Parts: sequence; structure tokens; C-alpha cells
Amino acid sequence: MTSIIAAFRDGAGRVRRAPAILAGVYLLILIATVLPGLAVRADIAASLGQSAEADTMVTGVNGEWWDQFGESATGLSKTFSPTIVGFGAPLDNVSRVLDHGALPVAVAAVVGVFMLAWLLLAGGIIDRFARDRATRRQAFFGACGVYFPRFLRLGILSLAGYWLLFGYVHGWLFDRLWNLATHDMTVERTAFMLRLALYAVFGALLMLWNVVIDYARIRAVVEDRHSMFGALLASWRFMVQKPAAVGGLYLLNGLCFVVVLALYAIVAPGAGGGGFAVWIGFAIGQIYVLARLFVKLMFYASQTALFQQSLAHAEYTAAPVPVWPDSPGAEAIINAAEGRR
Amino acid sequence: MRAHLLPVAVLTLAVATWAGAGAGLAQRSRRPAPAAAARLAAAPVKPAGTTAGVPIQPGALSPRNANYSIDVALDHTSRTLTGQEVITWRNITTTSTSELRFHLYYNAWKNMQSTYLREDGVAGVTNDTVAPGDWAWIEVGAVRLLTGDSTPIDLSARRRYISPDDGNPNDQTVLQVPLPSPVRPGETINIEVTWTSKVPRTFARTGTIGNYYLIGQWFPKLGVLEEKGWNCHQFHTSTEFFSDYGVYDVRMKVPGRWMLGATGREQSHKDNADGTTTWIYHADDVHDFAWTTSPDFIERKARFEHKTLPPVEMRLLLQPEHAAQAERHFEATRTTLRFYGEWFGAYPYPNITIIDPAWQSGTGGMEYPTFFTAGSRWLVPARVNDPEGVTVHEAGHQFWYAMVGNNEFEDAWLDEGFNTYSTARAIDANPLLKTNYDSRRFFGGFIPYVLADFALSREVAGNGVSEYRIAGKSDVPSTPSYKYFPAWDTAVALSYEKTALWLNTLERYLGWPTMQRIMSTYFERWKFRHPSPQDFFAVVNEVSGRDMTWFFDQVYRSSNVFDYGVQAVRSEAIPGPGFVDRKGKPTFEDGTGQGDRLRSTVVVRRYGEAIFPVDVLVSFANGEQVREHWDGRDRWTSFVYDRGVGVDTVVVDPDRVLLLDVNRTNNSYRAHPAAGAAAQKWMLKWMVWLQDALTTYGFFI
Repeated sequence: MTSIIAAFRDGAGRVRRAPAILAGVYLLILIATVLPGLAVRADIAASLGQSAEADTMVTGVNGEWWDQFGESATGLSKTFSPTIVGFGAPLDNVSRVLDHGALPVAVAAVVGVFMLAWLLLAGGIIDRFARDRATRRQAFFGACGVYFPRFLRLGILSLAGYWLLFGYVHGWLFDRLWNLATHDMTVERTAFMLRLALYAVFGALLMLWNVVIDYARIRAVVEDRHSMFGALLASWRFMVQKPAAVGGLYLLNGLCFVVVLALYAIVAPGAGGGGFAVWIGFAIGQIYVLARLFVKLMFYASQTALFQQSLAHAEYTAAPVPVWPDSPGAEAIINAAEGRR
Repeated sequence: MRAHLLPVAVLTLAVATWAGAGAGLAQRSRRPAPAAAARLAAAPVKPAGTTAGVPIQPGALSPRNANYSIDVALDHTSRTLTGQEVITWRNITTTSTSELRFHLYYNAWKNMQSTYLREDGVAGVTNDTVAPGDWAWIEVGAVRLLTGDSTPIDLSARRRYISPDDGNPNDQTVLQVPLPSPVRPGETINIEVTWTSKVPRTFARTGTIGNYYLIGQWFPKLGVLEEKGWNCHQFHTSTEFFSDYGVYDVRMKVPGRWMLGATGREQSHKDNADGTTTWIYHADDVHDFAWTTSPDFIERKARFEHKTLPPVEMRLLLQPEHAAQAERHFEATRTTLRFYGEWFGAYPYPNITIIDPAWQSGTGGMEYPTFFTAGSRWLVPARVNDPEGVTVHEAGHQFWYAMVGNNEFEDAWLDEGFNTYSTARAIDANPLLKTNYDSRRFFGGFIPYVLADFALSREVAGNGVSEYRIAGKSDVPSTPSYKYFPAWDTAVALSYEKTALWLNTLERYLGWPTMQRIMSTYFERWKFRHPSPQDFFAVVNEVSGRDMTWFFDQVYRSSNVFDYGVQAVRSEAIPGPGFVDRKGKPTFEDGTGQGDRLRSTVVVRRYGEAIFPVDVLVSFANGEQVREHWDGRDRWTSFVYDRGVGVDTVVVDPDRVLLLDVNRTNNSYRAHPAAGAAAQKWMLKWMVWLQDALTTYGFFI
């Protein structure tokens, strides 16, 4: 328990001491959403045109226009549904993940690009948290560059696991087993309890694989591992050695996620009016997104801290601070540019 | 089991009930009805409906020409029904018939070759998950003509399945039974039928799951003999039912201690030596009989009382997990009994039974005379009309279907559309129900979430304009309903939504007082009879004093849609006075040609094919308003104004009379539109949703 709390507090401190990381990932998510947002904005503006129906969309909601818009929307705008408002957003997204709902292709593309970008930054983020000291921009991006190929390989392994979970285990639990168990069930409350149990089982499997991948990344960075198979096995060994600490810390971070969601459920802005209220609502939304990102970084930082508790010292990393650029290709380019052979 | 003992006793009972058992009901029906309705109902008419002009016996509400005395036993283990019925049927047409036609609805789910399931397949419903034990069938044993003192005449040998609609040789939902001699007009015959049937895992809202049964369309039921012959359609995937009124005496044997609810009123029940219980129900002036049984129901009772309408005992059979929702069901039922009663006419039966179906039984939202299924969920937020919406609607079918008995095979819109319109109006009239919101369900559909910014209105959500817009052109409403394709989408768009929209449009066009008189006149004139669409149109023309044929030509006999909009608005400076010199050069008196007045031209267009007169409200920058009236016939029209200021806003149909307009967005124009501000606001909200999606999927990296 002590190690869990210590790692959690240490992790929180590491995230706090690296505000540029939080700012950076926030900037990433903002950039990732601005362009799609502008596309949706253009669709909305085109649909409303010079109609007076726009007035009620400024002062509140015009459900009739919304329905009409939704009927003909394509691409990203297909996701412009009433559930984007307020707490409907996290409910919609978390529910979609747990129920294996399909994402519209356009949004899936944005998610894919975002995940790739995050994967690129993950090495730098973990390296920064592992060292727990400012490594400057060059070293951060150097670490990004060093670990990105490794994390891509790990990402493929990770993807295989998730594909197995969502492609087979989910179907088995929520289609076959669910249908079998509820075929003659006439009490919804009982069915809901069963559903909760299935969510718990599936969630546990998801978390298990998620934590394996997390520690594989951490060990890849902290121990400068090149083999991602090796990192996965090492991650597994660490989890087996310290199941309570690993599980407890994961659940504590998970609790933070739940707390953030609960707080957002209270303060999430509704449709609201126009003018300044729009920006107030947006600001609340951004605080919520920052909190979600903070929690995400907490997972990385606290798990890194927990792993480093078992090493020589708290900020131990096997590799020196990476220097960017350090790849032969980049060196060749620089040499060529400077006229050296 | 009791087949050889029952005919005489049942026949006696049937005749007795036909003669006088409905006296109590008749007295109740003479309670004060809306004065206007009563006055107009007495007006001379030239009805065209099936039962027009058929005399009604003293003490009865309906012709009572199809009376059933039924004994049925449910075997829970095999999920089968074993039944015997004696039908006392009177020919109320002016022509003889030499055959009988029976509906055998359960055979629609006998195999994949039935017309019902073939149509399902064409519509994309595969039914490939139906387990072997979930299918249904009904097998008629004997059909005998009871002849009083002499031996019954067995008609079984000549019976055969027929498919009058599509000739499908594999469909067994209509049984033809030739008679030894024609039944002349006014003549009464008695027919005994025995049968066995397998109750399906629910199809078409009848069936069973676990130890819950909703038994509808379960007995061999006569079609309706019309002047042109038998109206006895096969069972189709998107249609409902049609039958004559009568008196029902039904004895249902079910497992002991199981609760039971049914059409009509319980007369008695007794526990049998074999551990079963027999429930005896009686119903007057109904055209169908349904029942439900389960050991799990909890029972609640309440009473509807009103200063001018007759009281009604409400009995609710509720799922235990919905125990806290009893009052919501009662309040919704009261809403229907009150407002439908005040607007159209009184509910004449002494009782009504509300069934809260078992979870995933698939039997919710279905109407039968004096008995209906609602439908709720374990978690139901207070500000969402669930279960109220469906309860008001199904209770409303007591008026549009149970009492005004149109042919649902051919003119489903006459009850579904009328009832959708009435439901939305009744909900809007009850302050407790009026304010309600859209909602969504998450996590397997178990967790409801109220969209508190999305208030639902009668005109838009209540009438289902969105569903109409999507499939409103898929067929013409005058097409027999059973022929609609794609079946359910079209049925929803036309039978429910389009009809509700045009009725509400008619209300706004003629005014509610006139519309109320139309509806109540139609109700009073056609209750316990079988009206046709023309009968309603005739009432509209008669009561409104206008020939509305042009309207019905468009909403009933056409699939055209209405869409009026602002096409263009231009404001240009009017040049000052001057002249053109010999060289063709304009010369203005003030030297500049820049007048101080603007000429504004407003072009309004009819984008749809359908025609309806509309007003156009033009507002100027100085606040001045001009209201124009356009007959809407031409493809477009323009209005020109010379003012000191330009046009600020144009609204076509500003009072929103034409609720059928499929594109409200193009109905208005603003010189300074707010689209940019709206788009900005919603872009930011959508971005937060997307950011949330990214952080959620970020879990995986």
C-alpha cells in the first residue's frame, strides 16, 4: 500500500513538474480537433445559410433543424448528434468503447492520426517522467525519435491484443454469452447486473492488457530495451512480482478518471446561449480535457515511478539523455548540408 | 376436452348476451358527450363504410354480429393452447354468402414461407435467430355448423387455405370454409371450431417469454363480410387487424395462482383440481379479445373520474421491477380518457386494463379492446415521456381502433395516424406531460441519459416530422396499407406521421373548434362501425363547410411533399428621376442617380410538388411588417417593396400552418443571418466531444 501511495504521489509530482508535457499534449489534442471542427463548422453554416432557424441555434437548440441536418450529414458531421452536448459526450464515447460500437470512418481517421502522434510523443513523455528533470526540447524530441520505432513495433503487438479482445472476447461475452444468458430473461434489473458483471470481466481483461503494454513501454524507456517482445515479457514479470502494487496503482489512477468524470457530470455545460457563454462553456470543456490528459499522464508517471522503486534509484534510466538528431540518416543529411563527407 | 359438452350451453349464453347483456354499457354510453359532437352526429350523412346503416339492437353499442364463446387451456410446458369456440355470426350485409373465412394469424410464423415472413425477408428482416421452439402455428381440428336440434354438420372436409392477396400457396393465415347453404342477409348461424396452437416466442407483439404470455390474435377469427364479399386478408408483416363487433365470453385455463388480465371484465375464477385456474371474462361490443398471464405480475388499481365523462376502473398489471411507476401509467391513461373523452367522445366501457410487459418480451405498445400493453424500462427518468408516451397512445387506440373500427389492413392510417395526432395533442394538453425531453440510452441500452436541452414539441417530435421526411415519398397513402414497401418504414412515415402531420395542419388551417367538431362528429358517427377514408373526408367537408378535396388529393392520393421556401431577397437603391439624352446617357435630376429609397424584391418558391396556400411575412429594417398571402400554386412568386429601408427578415408560413413542410430551414431569410455565430458555438461544443473521444480512445496507447 505504501508503495502504491508513494508511486501515486511521486507520479503526480512528476506530472506537475513537467507542465510543458501537459501543455504539449493539450496542444496536440487541440490541433487534432481544430481542423475537423472547422469542417463541421462549415457544414453547419452552410446548412443554416441565411435562415432564421440559426437564431435558436445561437440562443439554445433547434431540434428540428438538428434532425434535418443529421439526416443529410456526411463525414465528420455525421457525428454531430445531440449527445455531443455536456456529459453526453463522455457517456457516448465510453459507452461506445465498452459496447464495441463503430466509429464513423472520418472520426476513426482522426483518432488514428491522434494515436500515431501520441505514440510518437510517448517515448519523450515517459523519458521525461523517468528522469524527472527538465531534459530540454532537443532531448525530449530525441527520445521521441529513439523510441518511436520501438513503440510502433510494440503498438502492433498491442493492437493484436486489443483486436483479440474486441474481435473475439467481446463478441463471445456480449453476443454469445449474453444472448445465451438473457434469452429467456424477463427482468431487466437482473440483466443489467449481468451486464455489469460482463463489463467488469471485459474491463479487467482490457486493463490487464493495457497495464502490460504500459509497463512494456516504461521498461523499454527506463532500461533502454530494443526488443519489444522482451519488454512485454519483462513487463509481465514485473506484474507477476508485484501484482498488488501494479493493480492497486492502476485502480487508484482509474479512480481519478472516475472522479474527473463525476465532476464533469456536475459542471458540464449544456447547450447554453450565444456570445460569451459559448466561450465559458468551451473553457469548462477544456479544463475537463486537461484533467483527462492529466490523468492519462498520471498513469504513465506513477507507473514509471512504481517501476523505478525497484531499481537502483528513483530516477534511474539506462540510456543517456538522447541527443537529437542522432540517427545516421539525419547525420548524413547534416554532413551533406555542411559539405562534409 | 369440453368440446362435446359445450355447444348448446355456449350457444344459449351467446344468444343471451347478444340480446341484452350490453344494456349496462348502452346506458353508460348515453352519458353526456360533447354537445357539439352530439348535435353534429345527428346530422344527415351518406356513409360509405362497411357497417353503415346496420341497425343496432336496443341495449347494444355495436351491431354485435360476430359473437364468440371460447374455452381455451394454456399448457405452459409445451406453450400450447387448446381451444374450442362457438361463433354466432349474423350476415349484416345485403348479399348472401356461401362460405366463411377465418384468420389464422399464428400460421404467419409457421415457417419462412408464409407471406408475413417472406415480406419480412424482402424488408431485410432475416428472422435467422428464431430457435426451433420459437415458431408458432395454429391447427384447426373440427369446423361444425350447429343446427339446433339436429346433428351438427361437419364442414372440416371442404375447408382449405387460401391466399386472396398474393396467391402464396404456402401461406396458411386464411382458412376458407364452404357452407352447405348460403347465409342470407340478416340470417344467423352458429359455428363450432376446435383448434390447437403453439404460442410463438414473440412475433408482432404476441407471444411468450419465460413465464410471461401475451396472447393476441390467437383464435380462429372470422373476417368481415362486406357487400362485395369477404374482407379477410392474409397476415402481412406491417399490418394489423379487422373484424366485426360482438360479445365475447371467454374461459381461460392457466397454471394455478398465475395472474390474468384480458379484454372485458372478469366474471369469476375458480381453482381446478388439476392445479390450474380457470378465469371467466365477458366483453360486450368489442371486435377482438386478448389476454395475458404470468405469475410475476403485481396488480394496482385506480379510478378515472371526471365531471361529465363516465368513471372507468383502471387495472394495471405491472412488472415488480416497475412497481414505482404505477402512477405514471395511471396518469397517462387518465390523460387519454380525459382529453380524448372531452374532444371526441366518451369511453363507454366500465374498465380498462393496462399491461406492463415483461422485459424483452417484445409485446409492448399494442392495443386490444379495453386492454393494452404499455412498455417501460427499469430506469426511466422523470422528464422523459417513457412510459407515458406509449401509454397515452395505446390507451388512445380504445378510441381510434377499438371503438372506431376501421380496416387496419387497408387503411391503417385511419387509426394509427389519428391516434398519433391525438396522442401528441393530449400530451401537450397535460401540464404534467407537456414538458418532456429527448433522451438516449447507453451501456447496452440500460442507462438512460436525458438531453435536457432538447425539449420535445407536439408539432415536431409528437407528429414525427423527421420520420416523415425520410420516407414520406415512399408510397401513396391510398395504397392499401398491407402493400406498403418498405413495409415498416413506409407504415411509420405514412400511417403514423404523415397522417398526424396533415391532421395537425388541418387543425391549424381550419382552427381547433372546427377540427374538434370534425373529429367528434366522425367519432360519434362511426364508433362501433367500420368507416372508410371517404367517410372521414365527407365529415370534414360537411362540418367545415368547405370542400377540402384538394387537400385530401394531395395528402391521401399522392406522395408529393410540401416544401415552400425563400429563394432570393434583393434590396437595391432606386435611382432618382431623370432622363436619357440623345446619346443614350442617363441624366439624373439630383446629378448622382442615388435615390434615398430601396427597392426590395422577395422571391418565394414552391420547391415541392404539393400545393398549399401560405402567408409570407416580410419585416423591414425599421420594424415595419407586411403580411402577404400566396395561393402557393405557381412555382414561384415575388413581392416588390419600395421603402426607405431594406428587408430584414422574410418568413414563409410564419404561423406554421403547414406542418407537412419538409424543410423548415429554407422557410426564412435574414439579411444578417446568425449562421456564423451558431456554427461557431456548435463547432466548439463538437470539438469538446471529439477531444473527449480522443482521450477515451487514448486509453489504448
